[in-house]
Amino acid sequence: MPPSKVARRIERLLAIVPYVIRHPGTTLEELGRLFDVDPRSLTKDLNLLFVTGLPPYDPGNLIEVDIEDGRVWIGMADYFQRPVRLTPAEALALYLKGTVFLGAQGLSEADALRSALDKLKEHLGETLGGLQIEAGEGKPSGPLDAVRGAVERRETLEIDYYSASRDEVTTRRIDPEHVFSALGNWYAVAWDHLRDGERLFRIDRIREARRTGDPFEPRGLAGAGRPLYTPTGRDVAVRLRLGPRARWVAEYYEVDDEQEVDGGLEVTLPTPDLAWVAKLVLRVGTDVEVLDPPELRETARAMAEEALARYA
Amino acid sequence: MEPLERLLKLVALLLNAPRPLTFDEIRDEMGAYTQDDRDVAKRQFERDKDDLRRIGIPIETGGTDVYEVEVGYHIPKERYYLPEISFTPEEIAALFIAAHAPGPYEEAAQAFGKLARDADTAVISGLVDRRVPGLDDSSVNVMDAADAVARRRLVRFAYRPTGGEVSDREVDAWGLVCSRGAWYLVGRDRSAEDVRSFRLSRIVEGLEDAGDAEAPPERFDARDRLRSGPWGVGEPQTTATVAFSPKVAWWARDQAPGSTVVETRADGWTVLEVPASTDESFLGWVRAFGPDAELLAPEDLRRWLAGSLEEIRASL
Repeated sequence: MPPSKVARRIERLLAIVPYVIRHPGTTLEELGRLFDVDPRSLTKDLNLLFVTGLPPYDPGNLIEVDIEDGRVWIGMADYFQRPVRLTPAEALALYLKGTVFLGAQGLSEADALRSALDKLKEHLGETLGGLQIEAGEGKPSGPLDAVRGAVERRETLEIDYYSASRDEVTTRRIDPEHVFSALGNWYAVAWDHLRDGERLFRIDRIREARRTGDPFEPRGLAGAGRPLYTPTGRDVAVRLRLGPRARWVAEYYEVDDEQEVDGGLEVTLPTPDLAWVAKLVLRVGTDVEVLDPPELRETARAMAEEALARYA
Repeated sequence: MEPLERLLKLVALLLNAPRPLTFDEIRDEMGAYTQDDRDVAKRQFERDKDDLRRIGIPIETGGTDVYEVEVGYHIPKERYYLPEISFTPEEIAALFIAAHAPGPYEEAAQAFGKLARDADTAVISGLVDRRVPGLDDSSVNVMDAADAVARRRLVRFAYRPTGGEVSDREVDAWGLVCSRGAWYLVGRDRSAEDVRSFRLSRIVEGLEDAGDAEAPPERFDARDRLRSGPWGVGEPQTTATVAFSPKVAWWARDQAPGSTVVETRADGWTVLEVPASTDESFLGWVRAFGPDAELLAPEDLRRWLAGSLEEIRASL
């Protein structure tokens, strides 16, 4: 059974009170951001603190709360000057989130994050004790810091972007609003001035990012949690049969309609562009069989031929 | 009395109690739970107590005197207060980013709020306005799997392997690995009598506790058990020389850690030395560049690559 709403508010207060005691005069806004609560309901909760304290609940034993000009002071609550220990859910959530970031790689804060998580584990032995949570291998992250900086400053960037599906590098101006990590890759959500539309860029495919000094107004684009792949009207359903050594393809890409046929795994891969699937076919080799569409077989064969010419 | 007020008073009272307090003492001290029907009042107290325990407040029972005739309630300070963990400003900043990244695991923000108590005011003020990178992790069962690993549990679940039939597994939860954005539970599969890894997104429904897990072997490292897909350059065994067209050379360098530039040729192609495996994973990596890459040396790898391209062409 989950805790009641009231218990959730108490939980938050018992974290906020120690924070304010240690950092007197903290603004409601800062508390709101730090504890994910809107300043209005926070004020409401803080106002209830006035009437609590210790028996006999006379002025000498009630908690003192001062809210002035949006700043908060709390007194007479020495027994609440340290927070409650982390619950297992809190400790795990923080540890897991940190681990996903380490796994994504390329974060300039990675070393500090790793040592912070180690300290957490050392101190929270009872909760995280037997835990073996590891970040596995990640991928190159490209100019992640440059893009993060532009997001922070709300500054337009000029980037050279390699589009694997079109197989070309283009230079364009983008207004990046969010950066997020998904499936081990870093993405930037940005307004693309070249196509005059919203677009998701893989940061490892940005060859170079240059500052422009031009500020932009955010358009309120959606960040993490959005679909990574938007079906297009041009999508082709590629049907592949994967042999034993090619099965990783089904794990690695979003595939539909998996079917086991004679020891092989048949999958459908929707894509707006056959060029990158042709490259995938070259990578996997004879362990993948192209069932559909026939043009994909043509494209891959032409590519293999062109590559072979270099070895003649 | 507002429920929030009542619960806060209860925490304050039990935290400050020099000895466990009986229900009647609590009622007298707080002026709460005063319903005429004592059973109704007691039930409300029980509900409050359980509610507080669910948010991690260690309300314990104990004897109220040396004879332990009557049971009372208290909150031991040493089990309530978070011990001080000192983090550097850099560590606090890194934890802030992890905790406040838009995405799942929302309890992380509260965890950070508690840890932030001991940080410098200026450090925190410098952080709260930052726009932090987000996290898209839609994996299911991660918290449950982590909890099972932390508490060394044996777990039972239905698993659907790639393209295979769903079957029930019993696994000693030994480790959890996040690789390329996907979570894997690693442990001994009791029916297969072998250590296996299970992608959490392929677990059908949830994890069920099936008792205590056996201890993992000494120096067990969950990462060793995770077969990585043949998507990189493979385990380096040799150094290969590869030429890349201007279009992809920078990209190839990024993809192959430890590579060095030998030269940029007159035709604009870049020649790289790349740490390489001597198996399919490296050959596949080069082939995926299509006509934009040429493997120059070593000679046997070059011949092998050309041979594989011919086979592929013939199969298409």
